[in-house]
Order: sequence, then structure tokens, then C-alpha cells
Amino acid sequence: MTGRALRRALLASVVGVVMASAGAAGAQDVTSLAIMVPEQGTDYGWNQQGVEAARIVAELYGLDFLPAEGLGYGDVRPTLRELAEEGASLIIAHAAGYNTAAPEIAQETGVPVATVDRPDNIVPGLVADYTLHGHEGAFLAGHMAALMTRTGTVGIVVSGEPPSWNSQSASFAEGVRHANPDVNIIYAVIGPAAYADAAGGRRVTESVIAAGADIVFGQGNGSSFGMIEAVETTPATDGGKVWFIDVIGDKSALDRGHLLSSVLWNMVPVYSAMIEDLRNGAFGTRGYAIGLADDSVQLLRTPHIPDDVWAAVMQVREQIVSGEITVRLVTDAREVRALMTTVEDGGD
Amino acid sequence: MFTETFVAALLLGAVTAGIPLLLAGLGEQISEKAGVLNIGLEGMMLAGAYAGFAVAYHADSFALGFLAGGAAGLAAAMLMVLCCVIGGMNQIVVGIAITLGAEGLTALEHHFAFSRSYPRLPKAETLPVPGLSELPVVGRAFFDHPPLVYLAVLLTFVMVWIYRRTHIGLNLQAAGDRPAALDAAGVGVRTTRALAVLSTGFLAGVGGAYLSAVGGGLFLPFMTGGDGFIAIVLAMLARGRPTWVLLGAFLFGISLSLTTALQVAGVNVPTDVIQMLPFAMVIVVLVLFGRNSRLPPALGLPYRRGVR
Repeated sequence: MTGRALRRALLASVVGVVMASAGAAGAQDVTSLAIMVPEQGTDYGWNQQGVEAARIVAELYGLDFLPAEGLGYGDVRPTLRELAEEGASLIIAHAAGYNTAAPEIAQETGVPVATVDRPDNIVPGLVADYTLHGHEGAFLAGHMAALMTRTGTVGIVVSGEPPSWNSQSASFAEGVRHANPDVNIIYAVIGPAAYADAAGGRRVTESVIAAGADIVFGQGNGSSFGMIEAVETTPATDGGKVWFIDVIGDKSALDRGHLLSSVLWNMVPVYSAMIEDLRNGAFGTRGYAIGLADDSVQLLRTPHIPDDVWAAVMQVREQIVSGEITVRLVTDAREVRALMTTVEDGGD
Repeated sequence: MFTETFVAALLLGAVTAGIPLLLAGLGEQISEKAGVLNIGLEGMMLAGAYAGFAVAYHADSFALGFLAGGAAGLAAAMLMVLCCVIGGMNQIVVGIAITLGAEGLTALEHHFAFSRSYPRLPKAETLPVPGLSELPVVGRAFFDHPPLVYLAVLLTFVMVWIYRRTHIGLNLQAAGDRPAALDAAGVGVRTTRALAVLSTGFLAGVGGAYLSAVGGGLFLPFMTGGDGFIAIVLAMLARGRPTWVLLGAFLFGISLSLTTALQVAGVNVPTDVIQMLPFAMVIVVLVLFGRNSRLPPALGLPYRRGVR
């Protein structure tokens, strides 16, 4: 071995040792898992799915569980600091509204955080992001809605336009078009971040029903209950029943005969992956996904769905899983609206 | 798309959204006339929303729900009376505390009482106005509502009469303009202000109860979503005129419905722009008509006899 080669070999060894040390330093001892949610973890939706998944993951990995629920949408920095002081190994900031404060406090305290809907904001070892998209499930929901609508019009009501909901709105519209391009789609946003605006949810949904929709795909967190109230108390323009398709959680226990289905999200695989990444020193280096293939996204089957419709929907599911159908991921609100116009134009 | 059914639904939605603002705004106007800036209006609405829904649900009576909402708002207003009118504490600080306290308390109550069952009320019984309720479009939108809606509109004109024609109106005005003069005339300033604040609490509470029981059909934590603050702005814009509160509340409600109409019609502008419409309208009105807003000189100032 020449002197130059020897020097190269020595340098490579030193770099290897340093990198290995760095990797070991990035790996963290995980003892407790905290989650912060804006509403109570009993909302049969985003908050409940998040809290329940975190609880399951904490049990699976033998971690202390620190839930902080009903924090609202204001300044959560004090709560973040408190959880850090209580020894949280990872804080899951389970609301898009927290993705400014959480990285700040992560930098301040050194406690890793997971944010929502900010994939551009990750910091290795410190800030991870899980921008989840149930768009494949929403495509199935749209397909089903198109097969079941009587009036030829379906509605989408949302209480905000975060990327994860935009993707479902868009995919629902594409699912409708996939099954029947002649079906009209009405799209309405309740208000800016109107997540708890039950009255707004009811008011907008009643208007959408009056405009002809007999199936409403609702994404609203708490305001979903206002949408459900609207479908329960307002007949469709043909005098018949209005159906509701929910997202994320399962509200079957509260159903009064109008819940057609729900795009269910299972966040256990996501939070488990975060724990594994923390332990392996890979936290904050990648995003996390859910989908039909591993059943982390599913379509809820209720007794209101006829067998033939369900069979058709499951056939589409197989086509998506096999790659025969590709469901586009559309997260930009402008693209979502353009898609609705396209669908409406297609129906004219 | 713009069928009679759809337009009627939009107008109906505007009225439903406007009534809580009208009630709370009329209430705030009473306080402001008397010299008390009631920043806690949001909290009073929220307390009323929770109590109104809970009682309407358990008693199976919307009327009892509205009364309970008023009582809850009145209880929250009592804190304002004790701390600000009697204790002379900072009205803004106490108002914020009332709002934050009501948010926490109602969220907690909801968690224990309803967060696993999310009960929902049936559609409220309406009182159609004979003859008018059969009119196309506007009939259903304006003349087929729960009785509270007609009472709220009627209250607007009662308040006009009270402010212009009665000693109560004069006393309220004096408590906000020249409290020392009112005191010298032998009328208790604190008593006048206390009654004004309690009236505000009651009306805000009823407004909150309407929001939850009729507007949403259920209660959710934080569901007022800033309505109390919008009502404060309406009261300030109205410059002491109840009919302006009425117009402002329905302008806001119609703007909300217009946002839905534009979206449903597929107007190709960003939703954010559409959603700004109600707030932009309030700002425009503020700029155009609010420049000469006349607020009572003693607004926000505690009254102590002999202290200038």
C-alpha cells in the first residue's frame, strides 16, 4: 500500500467512525410519547384517531403516554414547554395550526416534535412531518357516491383547506368522475379554519342540499356534526334522504340512519414508524404515508350500502392497490377548485 | 343552480347566522351606552350556548333552553359586574378572562357530558307568519322562523323606544357620558351600569343558545368562533342605534350566505378571497360609516364618586 493509499484508508476509517458516532448520537432513547390535539380525543374524527393511535403505539412500545387534549387553536407554546419539561421523548403536534409553534419549541427545548401538513419544514433529529392523505379512500367514496346518487348531484363540504383535505376533496371528485362523468359536484368551504363551527357546517350543508346534492362528503372535524345535523333534518330536493360520507373516524355509534360511509384513517403505522425512526436516528429525514394497500386507509362499510355497489367499489380498490388505477395526489386548493369546475363542466 | 329552494336556503341561513349577532350586539350596545366595554361578550355567548343546548336537550324544550342560555350569560356577566362595575378593575382584562374562563369551562363540561354521545336536537319548531310565509323565496326565508327570531327583531325597535323615550335610556346614556352628573341627579351609576351589564349577559347568552340549539343543533367547544367579538364591532359601528345593529347583523349573515352562493356557483376565485367577504364588508362599513363613531366619553372607565 502506498503512502497516499494509506492516508486515504486512514481518512476513510476516521470518516466512518465519525459518521457512525453521529448516527449513534442521532438515535434517541424513547421513553414517553406526548400528543397534543385541539379538541377532545372523543370527536369520532381527527382528534380521536390521533389520540387513540398514539395510545396504542405507547402501549406497543412500553412508553409513558402524555395526552394533551382540547387545547384549541390558539398559542400552544406553554403546553409544548410543559410537555417537554414532563420528559416527553416525542411530542406529536396533531393539528396544522400547531406547525409554527411546535418547531420553535423543538429548537428551544431539543425535544423532537412531529407536525402536520408542513413537509417542507423537517429538521433531521428534531422535526418530522406527517402530511397524511386518505385520497385513495376518498376516490372510492366518490365512486360509491356517483353510483348511489339519485339527483345526479353530490356535495363536498369542508371546514378548511389543509393539504390532506384538499387531496381527499380532489380524489372524491375524481372518483365521482371515474364512475359517472355526468354527476355534478358542488364544493363549499364553511370558513377559514372553521373546524368547530357546527352552525356554519349546518348552514352551508343545508345550502348545498338545497342546490341539489343528495350525498354530502364532509370534512370538518367538529363542524362535521353540524353537517350531520343538516343531512338529518333537511330532505333532498327529490324529497328523499340525504346521505353523509365522513372522513377519518367512525361515527357509526352516533348514526341516525344517514351515515353512508367514512374514509377511515389508521395512524398507528405512522406513529410506530416515528418511534422506530427516533430509535434509529432517522427521525426528521422522511415523510409518512397511509394508503389502501396496508389498510391504513379503509372505506367504512355500513348497512346502507347495497351489496352490488360495495362489490363495485371493492373492485376499484383492487385496481388501485394493484396500480391499475393511479389516484393523483392533489393538495393545492386552486387545483381542487379547478377540478370541481372541470367535473361540473363535464356534467353540462 | 339558483333555484327558489336554493335561494331560500341561502336567505334562511343568513337570518340564522345573523340572530346570535343581533342579540349579542344589542346587548353590547346597552353596556357601551352605560360606559362598560364588555369584551367578555364572547364568553357570555359561549356560556349561553352550552347551557342553552344542555337544557334544551334534557328538557326537550327550546324555550327553556333559551332561558337557560340567558341565565348562563347573566351569570358570566355577574363576574363583570363584581370585578369591573363594583371592583373598578380593568374591563378589558376581566372581559378576556371571562372569555377564556368560559371557553375552558364549557369545553370541560362538554367533555364530561356530551363528548362521547354528541347528542343533536331536532329541527326547531317554527311559527309561520300567516299569509307572508307562503310568499315565494322570501316567505320561508323571513317569515317562517322560531318565535325567538321575531322577538329579537321586535327587541330592536323596543330598544329604539327605550333609548329615545324613556328615563332608562337617559340614565344609560348619562352613565356612559357623564356618570358624575347622573350621580348628582340621585341615580346610582353603579346600579345603572350593573343592570346594563346583566342585560348584556342575558342577551348574549340567549344569542349563544340560539347559535347552539337552532344554528348548530348541538354544542361544540369554541363554537362561537369569534361571534362575540364581531357583535362588539357591530355595536361600536352602530353608534348607539339599535337598527344599525340589526342591519349589520343581517349584512354579516347575508355575506356569509353569499360566500356559499359564490362557491356553489363555481365562481373561479380563491376560496380565501370569498371567505374574506363578510369581514371585508364589516371593515368597509367601518371605514365608510364608522369614522365619526361616537363612543361614550366614560366608556371603559370605572366610576368612583368624587374622583375625576
